[in-house]
Order: sequence, then C-alpha cells, then structure tokens
Amino acid sequence: MSDPVGNPVNTPPNNLMPDNARFQLRGWHLALVAALVALFLLFYKGLWGDPSAIPTVLIGTTAPTFVGPDVVNGSTIDLAQYRGKVVLLNFWASWCQECRIEHENLLALYGQFRSNPDFVMMGVNYQDKLDDARHYLEVYGSPFQHVRDFKGTISIDYGVYGVPETFIIDKQGVIRHKQIGPIVGPTYTLLTDKVLPTLLQGAAAPNAS
Amino acid sequence: MTFDLVEVGHVAVILAFMLSLVGIVAPLLGLKSRNGAWIVLGRQAVTLIFLLLAIAMGTLIYSYLARDFSVKYIAATSNSKLPLFYTVAALWGGHEGSLLLWVFILSAFCTTAVWLHWRTQPATIPYLILVESALMFGFLALIIFLSNPFERMIPAAPDGKDLNPLLQDPAMVMHPPMLYMGYVGFSIPFAFAMASLFSGRLGEEWLKVTQRWTIFAWLALTTGILMGGYWAYYELGWGGYWGWDPVENASFMPWLVGTAFLHSAMVQEKRKMFKVWNLFLIIMTFSLSLIGTFLVRSGVLTSVHSFATDPGRGVYILLFLATVMSVAFGTLIARSPKLRSPIQLDSIVSRESVFLFNNLFFLVAMFTVFLGTLYPLIIETLRNDKVTVGPPYYNAVFMPIALGLVFLMGIGPSIAWRKASLENLRKNFLIPLFVGLGFLAVAAIAGIRSPLALGGLAVVGFVASTITFDFGRLTAFWAARQRVNLAAGFLTAFAKNQRRWAGLVTHFGVLILIIGIISSTIYQTEKVVSMQVGDQLQLGPYTLLFKEIRSVTGSNWTAQEGVVEVTRGDRFVTELRPQKRIYDVSMTPTTEAAIHTINMGQLFVTMPEVTPAGATIRALINPLVLWVWGGGAIMGIGVLLNLFRPKRDGT
Repeated sequence: MSDPVGNPVNTPPNNLMPDNARFQLRGWHLALVAALVALFLLFYKGLWGDPSAIPTVLIGTTAPTFVGPDVVNGSTIDLAQYRGKVVLLNFWASWCQECRIEHENLLALYGQFRSNPDFVMMGVNYQDKLDDARHYLEVYGSPFQHVRDFKGTISIDYGVYGVPETFIIDKQGVIRHKQIGPIVGPTYTLLTDKVLPTLLQGAAAPNAS
Repeated sequence: MTFDLVEVGHVAVILAFMLSLVGIVAPLLGLKSRNGAWIVLGRQAVTLIFLLLAIAMGTLIYSYLARDFSVKYIAATSNSKLPLFYTVAALWGGHEGSLLLWVFILSAFCTTAVWLHWRTQPATIPYLILVESALMFGFLALIIFLSNPFERMIPAAPDGKDLNPLLQDPAMVMHPPMLYMGYVGFSIPFAFAMASLFSGRLGEEWLKVTQRWTIFAWLALTTGILMGGYWAYYELGWGGYWGWDPVENASFMPWLVGTAFLHSAMVQEKRKMFKVWNLFLIIMTFSLSLIGTFLVRSGVLTSVHSFATDPGRGVYILLFLATVMSVAFGTLIARSPKLRSPIQLDSIVSRESVFLFNNLFFLVAMFTVFLGTLYPLIIETLRNDKVTVGPPYYNAVFMPIALGLVFLMGIGPSIAWRKASLENLRKNFLIPLFVGLGFLAVAAIAGIRSPLALGGLAVVGFVASTITFDFGRLTAFWAARQRVNLAAGFLTAFAKNQRRWAGLVTHFGVLILIIGIISSTIYQTEKVVSMQVGDQLQLGPYTLLFKEIRSVTGSNWTAQEGVVEVTRGDRFVTELRPQKRIYDVSMTPTTEAAIHTINMGQLFVTMPEVTPAGATIRALINPLVLWVWGGGAIMGIGVLLNLFRPKRDGT
C-alpha cells in the first residue's frame, strides 16, 4: 500500500453489485426524508418556547386582584393596596415538599429586598388546612404576609397548575414573570439578579395612587 | 499582570477555526487534482488545530487557577473559594466550556485517526480529514460567534458566581469528558462510513478499520452514562440512579443505536450482509450524539440539567445538525442501489436473524425513549399544552423491550450462522430454557409477584446458563485440542479466542447489571419521616436513631448535619451523617446523602429539610444496588479485553 502522497491507490471493485445499478426511489427513502423534515420542524418550533415557563396568557396582562384573610391573624389582605409596588406572589401549601425546598431561599430573597420600600412579598396558601398552614409558618418562619386561598379562587384566577408557583407583578399591576416549581439555583439568581432589580428600578405608573 | 494569557487561548481558537477551513478545502483540492501534497496539508491543518485547541484549553485552565474573573465564563462558573480540584473541572461546568471540550476531544481523535491510519487507509484519509474538519468548523464557529468562553468583561467581576454546587462532585468531574469521548468517538466510524459512501468503496473495510474506535467510543459512552447515574444516585439525593430525564435520555439514545451498530457490524464482517443497515446505524448513532448536544444545549426541553435557553444558539445548532444529517442520510440514499447485498437471509432461525432482531429491538427501544423525550415538545407544538412523561411510561414500555434484548443476548452468541438445525437448538438452548424456567419457579415460590422481576429473573437464568455453556464449550474445545486440563483450557480459550471470550464477559456484566436494577428498583424500601432528636425509625430490619443535629463547615459551604445511629437488633451497624448544605456564594442548598453498604445493598439516608425541632429524614434500602455498578465494571473489563486484544487477520 502507498500513502496518500504516493500514487493513487488502485481500488479493487469492492461491491459485488454491478456499477450500473440505477437509482430507484424506495419507500424507506421517502420515510427517512419525511421523518427528518418532521424532526427538524419540531425542533425549530420547540426553540421558541421556554420549556419551564408554562406559556401563560397571563404574562403581560393585569394581575387579577383578590381579597382574602391573612393566614396567621385573619385580617383582610387586598392586593389592590399594593398597586405601585413590585409584588412577588408565591403559591404554596404545607403538604408540598418542593415548597419546603424553596423556603430557605424565599427567606433569603425576602431578606435581600425587604429594605426596599417598593417591594412586597406575599404567600398564597393553596388548598390547605388552616392549622397545618399556621403550623408550617411557625416551624419554618415567615416574616411576610400570607393570604389564605380557601376557596381556591385566587389560584384559579392565576391559573396555578400546582405548587409552588411564583408570580411577579410590576408597579403597574401587570404580571411580568412566572416561575413554576421551586426557586432554587439559577431560578433564584434569575429573580434576585435580573427580574426583581429591573422591575424595582422601573417607574411607578402615573395612576399608581 | 499586563499580559493576559487567556487572550493567547482566544487567538488560538480563532486560528484553529481558520485552519478548519483549510482542513475542508485541502482534501477537496487533493481529491480533484490527485495531488498528495494537498492531503499532507490537510493533515498538518488538523494536527495544528489539535495543538492550538490544546493551548486554548491550557490557557483557560491557567486562568481558572489564576482566578481571572475578567473572563465572563470563569466568573460565571467558579469562585475564589472553589476548591482547586473543581476549579479545573469548572471548565466543563457550563455551556461554553463544554463545547470547547467537545471540539478539543474531536480534534484529538481526528489527529490520532489521521496519523494512525495514514499508511493503511490512504484512500480514506482525505475524506476523514474533510468530514472531521467540517465538524470542527461547525463547532468552532459556534464557540467563536455564539458561545465564547474567552469573552472578557470590563471591569472584571470582583468574584465569581461559583460553580453549581451540584456539579461540585468527583463523579461530575469525569462524567462530561467521558460522555463527550463517547459522542465524539463515534465521529470516527461515522467519518469512515461517510468516506466509504463518498468514495464508493462500499465494502467491509471501513467497518474493520473502525471496529476498535467503535468499541472505544462505546466504552467511553457507557462509562459516562454509568458515572452520571452514580452522580445522580448520591448527589441529587434521589436514591435512584436513573430518572429518565431528557438529558439522560439524550445520552442513552446514541448508546442504544451504537450498541446495535456494534453488533450489526459483526454480521457484515462475517457475512457481508446488512450493508445499508450498518451505514444507517452509524449515521444514526452520530446524529443522535449531535441531537443530544442540541437538546441539552438549546433549552428545547426542561430537565434537571438546567442550561440557559438561547434560541439564537439553538437555531445555529439546529442548522448544523440538519446539515450534517441531511448530507449523511442523503448520500446514503443516493448510494443505496449499490449497497444491496447479494446475500439473502437463509433462515429465520439463524444468527443473522437474531442479530436482525437485536437491531430492531435496539431501534424500537431507542424510539420509545425518543418518543418519551420529545412527547412534551410534540404536544406543546400541536396543542400548546404542557405534559411530562415520567418513569411509569418508560417502565411499562422500555423494560419489556430491554428484557427481550437480554433474551436475544442469550441466543445470539450460541446459535448457528445461516441456518440453525433443530439439533443445534436443542444442544444449546434446551438446558438453559429449563434453567430459566427453574429460576422463574423458584422466584415465584419465594413470593416474587412483580411480572417484571419474574420475567427478568427467568431471562437472566436462561442467559446465564447459555453463557456458562459457551465458556464450557470453549474451554473443553481448547483443553482437548491442547491436551491440557480444564483450567488451562479456559485460559487457552482466552488467548485463542479473545474476542468471543471478552464478549461473553461483557454479556455477563449486563446480567449482573440487570439483577442490580431489578432488585434496587422493585425491592426498594423507602420511608420519609419527620423526626426530632431522640426519635427512632424502623426501616426493614434496621433501627435508625436520630441522635443529634449539628452545624459543620466545609471550605465553601456550611451544613446542618444529622447524626443517625443505625442498629440491627442489639448490634451497632453504623453511624450515618446526612447533610443539608448551603453553598456560600450561590446560597443554593444541596442535600448530601449518607450511604452505608450492607451485603451489596445500600442503606441510603438524606435529610431533605431541617426544622427547629428536628428534621425530615428520608431513608431507603436499595438491595443489591452495588450490582448495578459491579455489572457496569464487569462490562467495562470485557470491553477492555476486547479493545486490547492482539491484532490478527480477519477478526
């Protein structure tokens, strides 16, 4: 054998089929091409969705208002009173394991932003027994307010699939961000580094008062 | 420091990118003009690319060690408190660095292949350089224009954001390079296959030449997947090693088709059949490696491996993927008339047909995983709805196929080529069949009711005895021929027929693995209990006493550590210390499992949450879970024996 620098190598006719075999379109050719095209189209379409955010029609729309009792002391909480502030709504339940995973992070996040007068953080207690919810808050600590969604209407208005889910409402009262699942790792830093600072810097709406 | 070494790396990558164009053009000109000098130029180009990328990797690692946080990527994936060991591995802790590692391995393999096969495969070398350079071109363009790990920022970050704590783990240091070596390793047989298609030299040569490359890639991929499983097992705190996560699936699909290819290639070697099939399989294997990269790197699917979503990058990778797949499959279609094998299947009861079934089963298995992985995407596209596909789907659909494959594994190596006689079947399979049924009966009497476990044990019994028979026959044959005793015969069989011997060892490893999987998934015991200090928990025969909870500090984390004393009756077994860690910089909590091994099974304890009064303790018994890793290790030994067998003509 010679190397590529030397003379062209004589190739013995390796295939046993005659060289004049003509091309014929076969079923598997078409199937293969169709499968590839379908696959590429699917991937292409898939690129434009954010897989972890449920494509909610709510983002960009005005946050549904609600009035409900405070979990701990029963006083009335009205979302409308926080218009003009950035509100982080966190849907949770005492029976939800993932909520406990994110709880420490929620506390840390609250600690980071609590000094900002434009920031409000609120828990929405979802499909829960009042005693369990209170016990949960006693055990895990809760420096911010929690509204009790005892009829489930708030969750329905916000299209909550399951807990935990977190919504961020800007100063104009528009839902700007939605997070499904616990706020840990990169989702946590996304909120603390990008979403919240941006919205907190934003101007309040003229009709905020 | 006035002179930044990292810029040298940046320039090196840009030069490598330009050289990849030389690597594409030179062999084309060489083929056209029939002038060997162009091919030599191509060789120099790929060699230089390798050296340049080595420099790029080196400077980036140096900058990591120097904690140069003016490099965006370094600031994003490391921190001044990050231990040295992980500081180097942080290079592949994110998107940009992973891609650099990918293309670096590609260039290393390409250069090795070009020099290794230079004299023996002169007609193939130009195409090899062409195909590999085109792949490098694609990836280097992606690195330079869309995900550049050398990008700087001014002013420099005061400190880095730290490596994701979940990745700060020894298994994670080796898992991505192993996977990539597997993915990229398949690019060599792929390039040889494309060379064969382009040049029209459509014989068996490409298979013979690349056999070891295929085995090597397969070994690396298998090791990578198992390491990933081991990482998931103790670091993610699932207590399970496989969650059918999209990214796990992305590595599993090329493995399935690659395994099919590995087997199917033998049929073409021995019987010159399955020509189109083998080309299809290797193109598919490599395409799935690219699809895996696409799925992981584009953010099309959600997974525990949370990578950034970036449509621009995704569009590019998709375009690249589409180009590679269209060219590869297109050429295959264009060449298919010349690829029809003149040899027909003689009988449905033959080794050829078992191999055919093996291929079909592997492809169907791949397709079920593929469908499960992409189903959420399909539904989202068609109905704008969200669904997830979880383990129940895979357990129901994939597991029976897997058992079918294991069953074929028992038949394939022993059944005759061409047409198996009834005598052949009886001699080889009658006793194993009874052994399998015996396993089934014993298992049923022992009270096992799960159909999957029953079927699994029966199949394992069957295959174990065919493997034993096979070894027995080999041993007896060589003992008689060399007139030595059976022990010497066993060793002679190894020396004389290493490929078969090694293959059987690998198959044996698969059986061990299967038993480990069945036992540790179906017979897992799990309890999740909220405990206070002083509380006890009964888990199977073990008593877990929650003794205390205390704070401990590591180099870049603090943790709450539970101390759990395990006793069995009056006997002290061990003390387990699960942790709930908070990493200083990113403030992300992780759960560190505490594991104790008993009789090849493991007691696995995590502490998912800490309360003022105590903690939630999750305790599991995973019986025989070590068989999963042990089986994997035996498979690895088998494959290594296969890889390093002496070269002989023919096989």
